[in-house]
Amino acid sequence: MRILRCIALSAALALLPGAAFAQGKTAPKDAKLYFITPSDGARVRGGFWVRFGLRNMGVTHAGDDYQNAGHHHLLVDVKDPIDPKEPIPQDKSHLHFGAGQTETFLELSPGNHTLQLVLGDAKHYPFDPPVVSEKVTVRVRQPPQRGK
Amino acid sequence: MGEIRNFRSGNHGDPPPQGSMPRRLAAIIVGDIASYSRLMQADEEGTHVRVKRIERDLIEPSIIEHHGSLVKTTGDGFIAIFDSPVEAVRCSIVIQQNLIGRNASLPRESRIEYRIGVNLGDVIVEPDDIYGDGVNIATRIEGIAEPGQVYISGAIYEQIKHKVVCGYESLGDRKVKNITDPVRIYRVLPDADAVGRTRGRRENTLILLLGLTLLVIAGGVLWYLLMQQAGNTVERAAAPAVSPLASPSPQPPPRETATQTPQPSPSVAASTPSPAPSPSPSVTPAREPEMITIRGGSFAMGSNDDPTERPIHQVTIKPFSIGKYPVTVGEWNECAAAKACSFVATGKDDAPVTNVSWTDAQQYAAWLAQASKKPYRLPNEAEWEYAARGGTQTKYWWGDKLQPGMAGCKDCGDLAAEQPAKVGSFKPNPFGLHDMGGGVDQWVEDCWHRTYQGAPGDGSAWNSGDCTSHVLRSGSWKNDSRYVRPSNRDGYDTNVRYPTHGFRIALSP
Repeated sequence: MRILRCIALSAALALLPGAAFAQGKTAPKDAKLYFITPSDGARVRGGFWVRFGLRNMGVTHAGDDYQNAGHHHLLVDVKDPIDPKEPIPQDKSHLHFGAGQTETFLELSPGNHTLQLVLGDAKHYPFDPPVVSEKVTVRVRQPPQRGK
Repeated sequence: MGEIRNFRSGNHGDPPPQGSMPRRLAAIIVGDIASYSRLMQADEEGTHVRVKRIERDLIEPSIIEHHGSLVKTTGDGFIAIFDSPVEAVRCSIVIQQNLIGRNASLPRESRIEYRIGVNLGDVIVEPDDIYGDGVNIATRIEGIAEPGQVYISGAIYEQIKHKVVCGYESLGDRKVKNITDPVRIYRVLPDADAVGRTRGRRENTLILLLGLTLLVIAGGVLWYLLMQQAGNTVERAAAPAVSPLASPSPQPPPRETATQTPQPSPSVAASTPSPAPSPSPSVTPAREPEMITIRGGSFAMGSNDDPTERPIHQVTIKPFSIGKYPVTVGEWNECAAAKACSFVATGKDDAPVTNVSWTDAQQYAAWLAQASKKPYRLPNEAEWEYAARGGTQTKYWWGDKLQPGMAGCKDCGDLAAEQPAKVGSFKPNPFGLHDMGGGVDQWVEDCWHRTYQGAPGDGSAWNSGDCTSHVLRSGSWKNDSRYVRPSNRDGYDTNVRYPTHGFRIALSP
């Protein structure tokens, strides 16, 4: 039991500095995150593909702590600014791509929507400086009538 | 007392033709006030006035609103018929739910509570009454019903099960007085309070019986030991004599309260009815989380609040057990100590374990099953929602409005927390489960599907299709109140850890 406690304590001690530095892992200054598709102001019908572009950094799995690499998060209709001290939230408007995906098929309700990409580190924190894309707006039109 | 109120029915404007009895198929509601004689004895005039007011203000308008007709009122009850079983059951629920509101401010002994039975049958209609087997069966069902409840026959259930969004608990085939064939009866579960009440009572009886059994055993052991001691007058028997006595004595308290310390103890009152006192905890190979037994039933899964929760579909759940709380850091770290879980969790022992992937959760379940030799597993998505609803169909398990103290989320009415509260910090739902909504997100067995299109209806895990993501339930302390709803669901990458993700465990019987 004492050994166990020692292990736990040492693990906690070892993790402490890690946790402290997990926030704001540094990113290269020339890193650029962008949408390959859709372009800003695009009009789409029904579902559409979103493809994520990243320059001067690499994409990896969440949990993998490599230098200059992270994983994508797609923010749909998010108005709140990104908090650099918190993990990127996980909910229906913050889509995570922790398996290293670089595209997704999105189905949104008809109307205007904003999309933005944010790169997260191994522990889902934004980088320092944050690696984010421009916010693009897409207009989703009614899906074509299909005999259902 | 049996005065004729009104009698209207779609196909009954004309007087019946001579000679032939007008027969028709109808959904029959029979309602009756529980302990009417006692109420009358206590306050004859007052009760009469109140009953008449309930009939005038609630029962008659509800029947008309649901396109039924009141056949007659008796002193302590009423009979109504409906063309549609759906409307009949809806009307019954409306009456019962309104009565809950009316009774809320009254002391228990002066509450007017109706039992309601609903049956579908062929009836003979006369201007001031109806006759037939169907009416008698409805009356018998009403007689079985608990005060404040709606019981329906199998015939009604078959008609409405996919139409009225409610929980239904099968009470099996019941033999009723003067009716040859047994009648299948279901209890309608429209709201949380009703379930909690009856469940509580049954649970109390069970716990009381368990406590008595333990006391008897303990008494026997004590007697035996005392006899032995008297025989050879050796002191050493005194020490072991205490331990079997000590464990059963804290049993009798009837129902666990919300403030109870959630530290899971190896002796579990609710789920393991084996009266054998367990050996001392240091010897037990694996600490098993506290489990709650869930009786099977049928319920409407899903909601129309989010596209992922559609379509609403009826699902049948087999009996199973589910963790009373999410798995804690302390429980997880036993698995980690056994090298069966891949990391040591940090945090207080009674906090829910977080930052686990679906694969991590599976590792814990596999280790627990192996260490305890019991079929522990993750709950299926349908089981999770059934357990989270606790027999209710409301937006949250406690009703349609947010209330503080019920769930841990960003805007649930309590102070926003930096960390998930320790397990069991919020009130339990009608099934006695804590943190089914808010707290930590909880992995379930099923693969993620964007809607319920094609979902199984038998309560099994839905494991076909793309399985790179699995389903998360409950929402977390970082999400807003929309995520606390029992029907809320989301998917997340199977192998990725995230700081708000935890799980709870289930057990097949």
